[in-house]
Amino acid sequence: MPDTLGRSALWLAAMAVLAACLTAVNLAPGLASLGLDRLLAPVPSDVEAMVMAYSRLPRLCIGLLCGAALGLSGTLFQQVMRNPLASPSTIGVEAGAGFALAAATLYLPGLLGWSRGLVALTGGFAAVALVLMIAGRFRFAPLAVVLGGLVVGFYLSAATTTLALLHEYRLAGLFVWGSGSLSQQDWRPTLELLPRLALAALAAALLARPLVLLQLDEAARGLGLRIALVRAGALAVAVALAGFTVSAVGVIGFLGLAAPSIARAIGARRLASRMVVAPLVGALLLTVTDQALQILTAATGMFLPTGAVTAMLGAPALFLLATRLRAAEPQHGARALVLTRVSSTWLVALLATLAVLALASLVLGRDLGGAWVADLGAGLEPFLAWRLPRMVGALAAGALLAVAGVMLQRLTRNPMASPEVLGVSAGSAFGLMVALFTMSAPGQVALTACAALGAAATLGVLLLGVRRRGLGGNQALLTGVAVAAFLMALLSAVTATGDPRALLLMGWMAGSTYRVDAAGATVAAVLALAMLPALPALARQLEHLSLGMPHARALGIPAERSALLVLCGAGLLTAAATLIVGPLSFVGLMAPHIAKRLGFARCLPQLAAAALLGAGVMVTADLLGRTVHFPWQIPAGLLSALIGAPILLVLLLRPQRRRARQSAREPIRA
Amino acid sequence: MSQPGAAFSLREIGLRIGERTVLHPLTLELPAGAVTGLLGHNGSGKSTLMKILARQLQPDSGEIALFGTPLAAHAPRRLARSLAYLPQHTPDTDGLTVRELAALGRYPWHGPFGRVGDLDRQKTETALATANLLPLADRLVDTLSGGERQRAFLAMLVAQDAVCLLLDEPISALDVAQQIDVMAFVRRQATEHGRSVVVILHDLNIAARFCDRLVVLSRGRVAAQGTPDALLHPDRLEALYGVPMGVFPHPASGRPVTYVL
Repeated sequence: MPDTLGRSALWLAAMAVLAACLTAVNLAPGLASLGLDRLLAPVPSDVEAMVMAYSRLPRLCIGLLCGAALGLSGTLFQQVMRNPLASPSTIGVEAGAGFALAAATLYLPGLLGWSRGLVALTGGFAAVALVLMIAGRFRFAPLAVVLGGLVVGFYLSAATTTLALLHEYRLAGLFVWGSGSLSQQDWRPTLELLPRLALAALAAALLARPLVLLQLDEAARGLGLRIALVRAGALAVAVALAGFTVSAVGVIGFLGLAAPSIARAIGARRLASRMVVAPLVGALLLTVTDQALQILTAATGMFLPTGAVTAMLGAPALFLLATRLRAAEPQHGARALVLTRVSSTWLVALLATLAVLALASLVLGRDLGGAWVADLGAGLEPFLAWRLPRMVGALAAGALLAVAGVMLQRLTRNPMASPEVLGVSAGSAFGLMVALFTMSAPGQVALTACAALGAAATLGVLLLGVRRRGLGGNQALLTGVAVAAFLMALLSAVTATGDPRALLLMGWMAGSTYRVDAAGATVAAVLALAMLPALPALARQLEHLSLGMPHARALGIPAERSALLVLCGAGLLTAAATLIVGPLSFVGLMAPHIAKRLGFARCLPQLAAAALLGAGVMVTADLLGRTVHFPWQIPAGLLSALIGAPILLVLLLRPQRRRARQSAREPIRA
Repeated sequence: MSQPGAAFSLREIGLRIGERTVLHPLTLELPAGAVTGLLGHNGSGKSTLMKILARQLQPDSGEIALFGTPLAAHAPRRLARSLAYLPQHTPDTDGLTVRELAALGRYPWHGPFGRVGDLDRQKTETALATANLLPLADRLVDTLSGGERQRAFLAMLVAQDAVCLLLDEPISALDVAQQIDVMAFVRRQATEHGRSVVVILHDLNIAARFCDRLVVLSRGRVAAQGTPDALLHPDRLEALYGVPMGVFPHPASGRPVTYVL
């Protein structure tokens, strides 16, 4: 296929015209009435001129700069990781910066006064350093980098949200920053950003040629390329670009994912052209959004953070493109995680551990003085009515999410797939939000129904998007990510408005098991029990599907129908679980990997182990959330991310044992 | 319409992808109990034709029958019991051992709910033995060499116990010894077990040595077909490949050996 730069140019021109029109509508009346003299030398008393010169014009410039930086950063990430889903958000830069800012606000506010940007940048680089430490074990294999980045990112976001929940009032401003605001007070951020970005762009240009060779994988080494060095260099540049942007304007995360994909879809096929077109797309996309938003704000007085709105606009674009985009199947899938094989009898040990944890979460508590007590016998009775539903609910939800995760990872053959990533969780959150904002006082039943409807609708959109392209591979994943990003952006925009109902939503999003009642727990438990007998039959088909559609078809499996069934099943399980533990637990992503890493390689043992692990993590999170910060509670959904992520990290970093000789001697190629 | 000796009977099979005609309507019989080599330069439609034979792709036009029954009439698992297909790029095996991979070939027989019985286990072990994989049966497939890995997938096909095998370039990434090893294995499937094999190959001499019949595709049409002895003549080869070629009989077997002049 020829590199249709002419077509890209046409699209870019159309976007540029749109951006120019919107900018003209937004700024021209002001500029015209001010005149050049008042603008060039504004006096402090001239408010209109001051606003134009020191807020609105720098805002235009910083938007262009940040959009371009994120577009380039995303392009580099995608090229280095050979994964169309890689972006500054997937490697933990944004989460790291956000956590650093939250922690500094609470514990070292002096640092912020000194340099807020440097704090964010340090956090971003620290997160990436952690990711690279993990990736280093796998010789910077793209798969390991993305997986490590996701885990670190989830961990840090959960930590930030926990801090925010514990210190609600002092961190209110962080939510606005977290959803990306381009508001400016002077030219300083723009002038600081410009040389930094120029330097990074120059470095990127120098790396362009070796980066092209990365597409050849191991063959690139034969051409004399030092693969690890090029990857590390390009990653450093990409992180710097994203980090500078985040410290300047906050998280405009989706742009780093959308701009390179859009660039590719509008005809920039070669890396060199993508490295030019993607920044332009990013800059124009952000400008269009921001200018339109300013017009909207002026007309209605509604404040919306630009970053969140960018995602709302970019996500449908990506969704449409996903149906056209030819996303390459990952050549080497989840096998990189299998170190050793263990006998399925170890499942008994997992089951026993889960039983102990479940018992502990029923019995353990803190008394009025805060001392730890074990409530036994008659002493337990009054607590049982509260603790039993939450324990059962958490246990069932963990198991359901874990099983859904195994299903989706095996079906899409992508280790990054999970119910959270596919947007099903976000869909139920969205349903809940609609219920909260449209009904005056929705009861538990109405909320439940709306959340389930939201999940079902998301799944429907997902199915519609992938129907023609086939259900396997990355197509479903890319569509799901677009849906998830759109819904999460919408939620974060709503949160940023400061509506009191948003706080309620946030509590639920964080996955508080506090309100789980007997009915809710029963539904989840019944679903989890009903799922058990279906697992062995499912495992057999899933094992074949995880070898790819042609293989499954060749063995007489109605591959399309099975895949559809798996996807619907995973959606149902997710919806039921999300109602209890919220959309942010990431148990569905982590439990399957932990199970596999422990050595449960085949489908059925992996399903069973993941379910037990997911349940265990969730029960532990519920117990700790109820007790450690007594008399306050930390939502189980958040804590499960905090508990699960380190386990997965330790397993990823675990040295390869002798016993693994026969299975993992070879360096992992991913 | 099909002759008794035909495994596959194709009538006017055609396929277009977008503007491009990948296969012009072609009519072809592929013999039963024999090894048929599918030759042709890259992009000639070999893999596409094989995918249609395997029912991985639906042709736009024409009819295709397997042992006299229309291919479309078979239920998926029923078809998989008589037809096994090895794609050109074998998938990731995701931590499976060789024995487990071979056992996956039994799916068409036990299905999603059926019990995995003694027969299944026995067929798997026999397949492993036929492929000389018993010493490696408990190794992870990821740790095998290219030839061993290919044989592991072939063992899965044998365990599938189908009378027809469709192999898309099974030896393209192997060294000479491994190529001969795999092809001898393929040959035995026809000679000793009466299976019908269709195999895509690039090497004319390998094809001449191991195939009973050759079909040469060119730009989506059948350019030539016949026994290796009949087909491998300097004039016909030059017409097919566009380079002058010579042929001499193999000193030991008498099979034709080709070389580029």
